[in-house]
Amino acid sequence: MSLTSFLASPPSRFAARHRRQLHLAVPVVAALAALPFALHDVYLLNVLILTLLYAAMAQSWNILGGYCGQISLGHALYFGIGAYATTLLWVNHGITPWGGMVVGAALSAVTALAVGRLCFRLKGHYFSIATIVIAEIGLLIVHNAEFTGGALGVQWPIAGDGWWSLQFGRAKAPYVWVALGLFAATWLVTWVIEDSPWGYWWRAVKDDVQAAESLGVEVFASKMSAAAVSAAFTAVGGGFYAAYVAYIDPESVMTFRFSLLFALPAVLGGIGTLWGPLVGALVLVPLTEITRSYMGGSGSGLDLVIYGGLIMVVALARPEGLLSLLPRRSR
Amino acid sequence: MNRREVLFGGAAALTLMAGARAASAADEVVIGAIYPMSGANAQIGVDARHALETAAEIVNGVHDLDLPTARTAGLPKLGGAKIRLIFADHQGDPQKGRAEAERLITQEKVTAIVGAFHSSVSATVSATCERYALPYVAADSSSPSLHRRGLKFFFRPAAHDEMFSAAMFDFLDEQKKAGKKIETVALFFEDTIFGTDSSNVQRKLAGERGYKVVADVKYRANSPSLTSEVQQLKSADADVVMPSSYTTDALLLVKTMGELGYKPKNMMAQAAGFSEKAVFDAVGDRLEGLVSRASFALDLAAKRKSIAVVNDMFKARAARDLNDNTSRQFNALLVLADAIDRAGSLDGAKIRDALAATDIPGEQTIMPWRAIRFGADGQNELCDPVLIQYLGGKFVTVYPTGVALQAAKWPMNG
Repeated sequence: MSLTSFLASPPSRFAARHRRQLHLAVPVVAALAALPFALHDVYLLNVLILTLLYAAMAQSWNILGGYCGQISLGHALYFGIGAYATTLLWVNHGITPWGGMVVGAALSAVTALAVGRLCFRLKGHYFSIATIVIAEIGLLIVHNAEFTGGALGVQWPIAGDGWWSLQFGRAKAPYVWVALGLFAATWLVTWVIEDSPWGYWWRAVKDDVQAAESLGVEVFASKMSAAAVSAAFTAVGGGFYAAYVAYIDPESVMTFRFSLLFALPAVLGGIGTLWGPLVGALVLVPLTEITRSYMGGSGSGLDLVIYGGLIMVVALARPEGLLSLLPRRSR
Repeated sequence: MNRREVLFGGAAALTLMAGARAASAADEVVIGAIYPMSGANAQIGVDARHALETAAEIVNGVHDLDLPTARTAGLPKLGGAKIRLIFADHQGDPQKGRAEAERLITQEKVTAIVGAFHSSVSATVSATCERYALPYVAADSSSPSLHRRGLKFFFRPAAHDEMFSAAMFDFLDEQKKAGKKIETVALFFEDTIFGTDSSNVQRKLAGERGYKVVADVKYRANSPSLTSEVQQLKSADADVVMPSSYTTDALLLVKTMGELGYKPKNMMAQAAGFSEKAVFDAVGDRLEGLVSRASFALDLAAKRKSIAVVNDMFKARAARDLNDNTSRQFNALLVLADAIDRAGSLDGAKIRDALAATDIPGEQTIMPWRAIRFGADGQNELCDPVLIQYLGGKFVTVYPTGVALQAAKWPMNG
């Protein structure tokens, strides 16, 4: 698009394309929501749930990492806060996991603001390293604290299935819908932000901090707000994961591995795009799960080789992510 | 035929083959085994595979051994049905363990599941089995919390961590009664789940039984130096030093003791590093007389023929002797096979009832136990841990007296 035509019809083109995304999202979400009616295999439903969860987590990460350009490798901290808040409130005080997720989201947002206050003065790689270190500190605290159950972890009791306790026995469909709801929420928030003043500010911060500042963009406030929104959604995902697995310990929700797993789908699918996280998760999660299940039992490690190889191929052939395979207009 | 048709045809043929396999399921019993087959603990999974396959070989073939289901081919009450094992990889992740358990149950139609080394994975796998009303036998996960959740389908033939420490203090009590001076103990433990748990129980037992804890030293696992920690042990100079350490820390501890000229009066270890061959290869000369707890006593083979035979069969596969873990895994599958045979059915609830009614005398196992009989919580309380002492370059079972081949040398440097 030339500059003159851009100025001649400024908002309408973008607005139309932006609206089209919503028209695309509705059938996609509806189709995913209907899947449990067609798919009855417990194992495949489990893969679907994890895919949607990681898509949601990557979408949350994308808000800070993709749109605002602050590459955090410490999101496991927020995931852990959500998981622990939800678990401890339910197991010790009988507060429904839904309430726990809200509490976890609030706690995470506050933590993200505190971390941001300290770290957003750092740029680029230094910021990423700082987030890794802070998440590790969080892991050590949880590991050694009494009230978190320490290294022993916390088990959810097997009793009282239903929406109140977010426990469904053998049923998987409700988990699909909750994970899908979470993904839809993160997608919608991203969609709204994309076309809001905040969205423009964040992308300006990502492109060039000095230039943005000279145009009056509140750089620090932009980073802080993106971090808080991103952390809050990540914590909700942590709460969901705890309810789904019904057991947590520091190793299984707070290690560095999770920070990577949240960033990877977004990077693979297309960083800073609306659909990148979902596309990335749709490729990555089924691939890891299925290769592990059907090749992992041999102990040869072939599943991990395939996984690593695929990431390398995409990184080398399509550094902008899988979405860049599509023609630009339809993205 | 174009390429697509070939693909479809191939897929259809595979489906048919899968169907054919399911149809012949009556003459086989499929059992799932969930272990870490990749990642940091992959070796555990590989060894477990050898141990379980050895057990399946004994069940499926005819072997003149005094072990359950050994003398018959397959499971006689199920028309000689053979056991087929399916292994799944959990990578030490409770979520993956749970997903694999669901896959084994719904897709592979396993009859029961054995696992899982990590107690955290056993927690989620056993909960899944409970949901599907299918027995879970925890072969080698030793966290005491596992059998305290009121699960009906959970069974653990082997000891949990509290029983191990209790055995160590029983031994101390006995030595004390025999007139030896034991008044003080020093705890020395690493800061992960293993050391923390172990020291908590030891501290409690020491208090209850009237031993004074004169040093209570927690250290960071894989620490580069233990000098200040060993100084604390040296100045306290307790009658018994009780380390809970993995391999690298155990090595460093012994080396640092040598450097600082500290010769503990007695050392009694919570296995782990102090049952690793690597440690004794490197610093064995300084560990003469060390006592460690164990689940398995290889020297009992002198009294019980089956141990030697099973060890040889295992060694042919794995190129190493049976140890604490592999012996428990082997034993778990035999316990399960015995119950499935007595149930005479592949129905989860019936096998569960048969497991609950298990009564195998110690002599009919390879373990140094009194018997295998499960309590209402699924825990076998008759699986006494043993204590082994490092004497003259090898381990000798010294406690309990029923299975001991010789008396303990105490104090170890005396």
